[in-house]
Amino acid sequence: MHPPGCCRPGAPARVPKRDRMNRPFDPAFALAMIPSLLPYFAVTIGVTAASALAGSCIGLGVARARLSRTKAVRAIAAGYTAVLRSTPSIVLLFLVFYGFPAAVHALTGINIHFWHRAVFVIITFTLLFSATMSEVFRSAWLSVDRGQFEAAVSAGLSPAQAQLRIVLPQAAVSAIPNFGNALISLMKEGALAYMVGLIDAMGQGFLVVSRNYGARSLETFLALAVLYWALTAILERVFLLVERRLSRGLRGVSQ
Amino acid sequence: MNFNLDFFVRTFFLALAGLPVTVGLTACTLALAAPCALAFALVRMYRVRFFDKAVALYVTFLRGTPIVLQILIIYSILPSALNAVALRSGWKLDVFAVNPFWYALFVFTLNTSAILSEVFRSAILTVDRGQLEAALAAGLSHFHAWKRIVLPQAFLVALPNLSNATVNLIKSTSLAFMMTVRDVTAIAKIEASYGYNYIEAYLDIFIVYALLGFAVQWAFSAFERRLGSWRKKALFR
Repeated sequence: MHPPGCCRPGAPARVPKRDRMNRPFDPAFALAMIPSLLPYFAVTIGVTAASALAGSCIGLGVARARLSRTKAVRAIAAGYTAVLRSTPSIVLLFLVFYGFPAAVHALTGINIHFWHRAVFVIITFTLLFSATMSEVFRSAWLSVDRGQFEAAVSAGLSPAQAQLRIVLPQAAVSAIPNFGNALISLMKEGALAYMVGLIDAMGQGFLVVSRNYGARSLETFLALAVLYWALTAILERVFLLVERRLSRGLRGVSQ
Repeated sequence: MNFNLDFFVRTFFLALAGLPVTVGLTACTLALAAPCALAFALVRMYRVRFFDKAVALYVTFLRGTPIVLQILIIYSILPSALNAVALRSGWKLDVFAVNPFWYALFVFTLNTSAILSEVFRSAILTVDRGQLEAALAAGLSHFHAWKRIVLPQAFLVALPNLSNATVNLIKSTSLAFMMTVRDVTAIAKIEASYGYNYIEAYLDIFIVYALLGFAVQWAFSAFERRLGSWRKKALFR
């Protein structure tokens, strides 16, 4: 076994020189890669969390715009969602990475080329996530019966109070499973960020592979796959628990 | 920013030439993955011993890992595995001459079959059990009850998710350039690399995929309206 990163977490794994040839698959190497890749998941999770937060806020605005009374506002919001939902992440990622600094430079003369790559990655995934979330929020908001709002207002709540205290908690329950799914796919799509040079878990995996001159790439990728799999399983579990907790008061046909 | 309009227009039409590859890859993947996915869904619903656990593991793994990793893993296993098989069995196959399209088809079929199996499973579960029982009581065989009564109803329910899965698949095929498939993305990327015109090239790809996405979504919703024309209009809206 070749212990990667024996001294400090995340130190690059080294394959002895004689071993850099095409050797049979080494499960021990894959296993040993796991702890050394783990710290870099902080970057993956950080980028995902930041995009999810910003994307949800924008998504809420877009969902509101899609239910607007003005036809033009509705059309713009629908167009925004439709375009972004059919754009591959990798295309938007490169478009933002190359295009955003150029556009800012052309418009304002400010040079932002040196900004950290994570910023461009977060902008990309915020845009993509906002499109998904606008659909989630819209369907959740529509799933609450209009009578709930009317009853709350006629019981003396202000419209804002009625939305906040009656409609929102009910909409949240129906949005949770979809939000969970969207978050998981965001996390998986985030694996593409290594293509613009962000050193997250995938990026570190590629660094390890290139330091070994391409040897042991399969072991590294499998270790990454197992880690992503575990992360997905954890997120799924958490969202299931949250959903159960929030739907305490509901009695569906299945219960 | 000096936008090279000439390059932008020229590359747009070059990228459009890659559309048959993107669409073909998507269509072939769907055609191969859908029957597998239906079989997986039925195996899980009928709780076939051992196989249901195996399918569940397969589905969670493929749905729980990024598609980039699946591409990287399979693309590093499959060619050498094929080569080993060819050498053992005396099968005359030059792995280096195999069109990468087939490798891409394999990866995307694995991934899509897992996703579609969940789509089909949830759609079949929405069909009332009484429908199957009534069909059986009316004298239909199990096969015909599924074919004529359960599956058509489930298919209608599955259509919106199927549309989503198709759009997601089209988006994923943009990663086929990692396997050296020359699709829309790959062509535009290669063009861009000559003169570092990445902004123009990615705008081209962006437009092609947006148009393709619109077309697919429109086709699916038209199809759904047609198939579901017997359904009662919703009470409000």
